[in-house]
Parts: sequence; C-alpha cells; structure tokens
Amino acid sequence: MSTTWTIAKREFRSYFDSPVAYVVICLGLAALGLLFFNYRGGFWDANRASLEQMFIQVPRGLSWLVVPVITMRLIAEEKHSGTLELLITLPVRDSEVIFGKFLGAWGLVLVFIAATGLYPILMFGWPWDLGSLDTGPVLSGYLGLALFSAAAVSIGLLISSLTESQVIAFFVTFLVLFMLHIVGSGMTLDMLPPRVEYVVTFISFETRIAGFLRGAIHARDILFFLTVTAGCLTGSFWALERRKWA
Amino acid sequence: MTSDVMIEAQGLTKRYGAFRALDRVSFQVKKGEVVGFLGPNGAGKSTTMRILTCYQSATAGSATVHGHDVFDEPLEVRSKIGYLPQRAQMYGEMGVLEYLRFVADIRKINVTLFNKRIRNIVEVCGLGTVLGKDLRQLSHGYRQRVGLAQALIHDPPILVLDEPTEGLDPNEKTEVLEYIKQIGRDRTVILSTHNLAEVEEACSRAIIVSKGRVVADGSIDEVRARGGRVRYHVSIDEKNALAGKSAPAVGDVERALATLDGITSAKETPTDDRAHAFSLLGTRSTDLRADIYRLCVERGWVLLEMRRDIQRLEDVFKALTKSDELADRLRAPAAASVADEDEDADDEGDDANADDDDANDEGDADDEGDADDKGDGDAAGANGKEADEDDDDDEGADAPADKSKGKG
Ligand SMILES: Nc1ncnc2c1ncn2[C@@H]1O[C@H](COP(=O)(O)OP(=O)(O)O)[C@@H](O)[C@H]1O
Ligand SMILES: [Mg+2]
Repeated sequence: MSTTWTIAKREFRSYFDSPVAYVVICLGLAALGLLFFNYRGGFWDANRASLEQMFIQVPRGLSWLVVPVITMRLIAEEKHSGTLELLITLPVRDSEVIFGKFLGAWGLVLVFIAATGLYPILMFGWPWDLGSLDTGPVLSGYLGLALFSAAAVSIGLLISSLTESQVIAFFVTFLVLFMLHIVGSGMTLDMLPPRVEYVVTFISFETRIAGFLRGAIHARDILFFLTVTAGCLTGSFWALERRKWA
Repeated sequence: MTSDVMIEAQGLTKRYGAFRALDRVSFQVKKGEVVGFLGPNGAGKSTTMRILTCYQSATAGSATVHGHDVFDEPLEVRSKIGYLPQRAQMYGEMGVLEYLRFVADIRKINVTLFNKRIRNIVEVCGLGTVLGKDLRQLSHGYRQRVGLAQALIHDPPILVLDEPTEGLDPNEKTEVLEYIKQIGRDRTVILSTHNLAEVEEACSRAIIVSKGRVVADGSIDEVRARGGRVRYHVSIDEKNALAGKSAPAVGDVERALATLDGITSAKETPTDDRAHAFSLLGTRSTDLRADIYRLCVERGWVLLEMRRDIQRLEDVFKALTKSDELADRLRAPAAASVADEDEDADDEGDDANADDDDANDEGDADDEGDADDKGDGDAAGANGKEADEDDDDDEGADAPADKSKGKG
C-alpha cells in the first residue's frame, strides 16, 4: 500500500508543478460561477434553496474539461517521455503503479469537487445567508460526485494507458465521457427503440447520478460507478502489462 | 548454480512479431565482475537488460538475478538491481533531491538511512552543485549522473547500466567511467556499450552480442586473443630514400608489404604528406618486424616507424559483428560507430573511419572478407558451446547452421 501511496503523492504533487492544475481548477470554478449565476436566470431565480443546478452542471464540467485534462497524461506521457521504464523497474507492482496514478488523479479531481463547495458556503453560510439549505441532498450529491468522478478518472486512465499521445488521450476521453452524458438526455432517448433505451439508461452517467442529486442513494448506482472504476483499473493494468509481450 | 553467480541468462529469446531480437542468449555474471555487454546498435543489448530488470518478458528462456527468477519474482529481482536505462528519462518537473527521495521512498529507505547514503552518493556522482535544481534544467551529462545516483540509492549488489556514456562529451565520458569503476569495486556491474575503449578501460570481461546472439564471451584478453592476429603499423618516408634509390610510390610499397609471407592484409592509413603509412594484419604466432625491416633495406626505403600491436578489441568486435550487421543493415551501424569514435578525439577515430569505409567498398573485398570469415568461425565456436547445451527448446531451422559454422 505504501508504494501505491508514494506514487499517488508524486502524481498529485506533479500537477502543481505545471500550470495545468491551477488553470483547470480556476477555469472550472469560473465556468461554474457563470453558470450558477447566469444560466437560465441563474440560481437567484430558483424558488427553492437547493443546489440542483450546480449538481447538474458540475459532472458535465468534470467530464468535458477537468477529467480529460487531468487524466490525459497519466500513462501516455510516461510512455511518450520514457519515464515509465525507470518507474516500472523500481520494485513496484504494475497494479501499484495503476492504482497510485488513479489515486493521484482522483485526488486532484476531489480537490476540485471540494472547491465547488465554495458556492454553497458563500450563499448559505457567509456572506449571503440565504436561508437554511436542505443538507441531505447536498451530502448525497457530493457522494455521487465522488463516485462518479472515480469512474470518470478510471476511464481517462484506461484511455491514457492505451496511447502514447496526450492529445489523443484527451480527445478520446472527452468523447467517451461526452457520450456517456448525452446518451441519457431526453433528446436521445426519444429516438431509440425501448430495448436500446434500457441499455442507454443503464450506462448513462446522467441518469445514474440523478438519484444522488435528489438525495436518493441507491445501491445499484453506487455499484455501477464502482464497477466501472474497477473494470477500467483492471483494463489499465492489462494495458500496462502488455508492454512485456510487445 | 553456485552462490556467486549474480546474473544468469539461459537461452533468452525475444521475438517482436516475426523479428527475433534475441536468439538464445546465455551468459553468467559472477559476483564482483564488471562486464561489458558489447554490440552494435540493434544487437539486443537493451532488450536483454529490460528482461533482466523485468520490464519486458522473454519469449523463451529464463534468467535469474541474485538467485531470483525474473519472471516469478520481479520485485525481489528489482530490489537487488540498480538500473540505468538507455537514455534514462526522469520526471523533469521534479528537483534532483526530490526525485532521489521519491526513488528512496519506493525502495523503502527511511529518512535517516537516506540522509546517510545521499552524502556519499552525491560525492561519488558529483551532484553537489545541482541538488536543488529541477531535472529538466540539467544537461544530459548531469541527468546521467542523477540516473547513476538513483541506481545506487539502495546500495544494490548488482548494477545494470544501459549505455551509460551515450551522448556524453569526452570529459563527461571519462568521469562517468571513473564513477563506474569506483562503484564497481564492490559490486557486480553489467554495462552495455558499443564503445570498445570504454570496455577496455572499465571492464574485466566482455560479452559481445550481434543480431541477438552472443558471439564472444570471456575476459578482455581472451576475447582479444580470439582474433588470433596482430597489427603492424609501418610508416615509410615518401620523399627520401637510401642512397642510390628512388623515393617509393605508394602502390609499390603496399604491394610489397601485402605480399610478405604471413601478412593477410595491408591498407594505407591517412598521414601527412611526408610518409606512407600502412596498417598490416598478420597472424599472432609470427613476428614479421624483422622481415619488414629487411624489405625496407632491400628496397632502399626509409623506415620512419614500426609498431606491432596485439589486435585491439575493436578489431575483434568488427570481425565478429560486421558480416552480420552488413547483411541487412548496410550503412546505418557503420555510420553510428564512426560518429561515436569521433567523439573520442583520438587517432582511433581515423582508423575506425578507414575500416568502415572499406567494409562498404566492394573493391577491398578480399582483405575484409578474410577477416570476416575468420571471425565468423570463432564466433560460432564461442556460440556453439552454448547452443549445444540448450538446444532442447529448438527451432530446428537454425540449429544445423549453428553446428556447421561451429566446425568451420
Ligand atoms: N518494442 C519493440 N518492438 C519491435 N522491435 C523492437 C522493440 N524494441 C526493440 N526492437 C528491435 O529489437 C532489436 C534490438 O533492440 P535493442 O535491444 O534496443 O538493441 P541495442 O540496445 O543493442 O541497440 C532492434 O532491432 C530493435 O529494432
Ligand atoms: Mg540499446
């Protein structure tokens, strides 16, 4: 475990050695702020003290910007620059490398998610004390975000481990996550035969996360995200092992 | 297997698709040896080292490091090895000390021990001035030293260094070799290179590989003796001759020298315009210096210089690897080795140049051809032994060829 932790720590810190982490976090928060206050009249027009809008928009921001940027380099860059060989030939298991990298990247995403808490605190705590917030859905919402982001990061990690190009990793991850969001939107559902619709609803991130945002925690949703995460981590592990037989 | 065998490779074969990068490579490295793993580019040196460090897996064959199987116990193997990959890349955004600390953390070295070791390592590797810098700010030479430092941090009994001096300037090369010699005093080291001067300087043993096969393996002197020939360097005055004789023409001199009994080839080597200089190859059992002197007196030539050298490792290396390499690679490796020799900035550079040109020149076929034939026979002889031992996994097709060569 401690080897995993060492790798995770290094990965996490390395984000702050380049402007990427700062830019993404700031951009993400700024975009969220804009959405929050202006989108469809903004938060102010909503007649309930809830964070519904925020919880709908944050996963999209994560999928379409934050996660692809954070995960694109994980393995691809190590392969491209050649640092992988020194890392792997230390006494580390391939699984520790994968899990460490996952934790490092997920950690940064969690920091971003935690940073979105700034808005509710500003509005319902200090300085604009807008009344009491229903904390249940907020907490379950954050739980949902954490689980969802683990799945998204593992998808990015898997894609990053299949290529040597960060750019490709970014676009493919973006595309995959984008699809996983829009397949669940009403527009696409109407056009599909029922059986496909069932599958689509099953894999859609939006439908999976919706429950959490309403304060309803379902075991099947938790299981879904955990399964995706475990599956993608295993896939990344295989992709890393593949080098031995190349 | 005795306990002082630190590295043992048995019949390592590695295929990339249909291409065979390693073909039944077997060797042993004993405790305390500093072994030069020699071969032209593409011979399979890095592939072998990657298998030894469990970065890649062999298609067939096995290897043990410090008694641990590279396939079954990668963590144990890696913990015994300090490895410097070819063109080692480290995280550019990390500081030197930070990086070494990271490696030490993964190797489970606690802070006190790290602090104790790092002082010595910084001194041995000459890192004092760059400890605070980021890796990406360092020159290649300094990065290579950091690479050595990270390989030493756990005080490993075995060091695997893949072309540690590649791309360094001559001064840095000397320094790095110096570090390696120092490090090698109480460790087992296997270092790959295609620079022979380095092997002669730093190693006690050489393993020569070519196209994925071991073609020679033994102490430097044994390998050198394998060529079975000596080289004479002869310079003759171009402008003057003894009383009553005319100044010699280069063609005459060359012909006369080449036809001396016991000389297998004569080749002009570049000099200034006052002398004709030649490099002659002869068999090791005879000494032709007297004959050469007599010839000069007879013809009235003024002999300016004569030297008899035991064949250099470089000659053996070329003889053993060239025919193989030329077959499918043509100019590429020759060009690379010329570039490399030039960095050494000594007279060997010129020599290598001349030889390489010849190799690609059909006109000189008989002198080089001879050397190659001879070399091949020796090569197969060295290899034949091992091939016989582990023929069990065999691919039929290659085996007969091996044996017929072995006899020749
Ligand atoms: N991943 C790979 N895929 C295909 N061929 C490879 C791969 N790695 C090395 N090779 C080939 O294997 C041969 C040996 O390579 P290498 O061990 O790097 O040689 P060396 O280190 O002696 O220069 C070369 O011909 C090289 O092109
Ligand atoms: Mg190499």
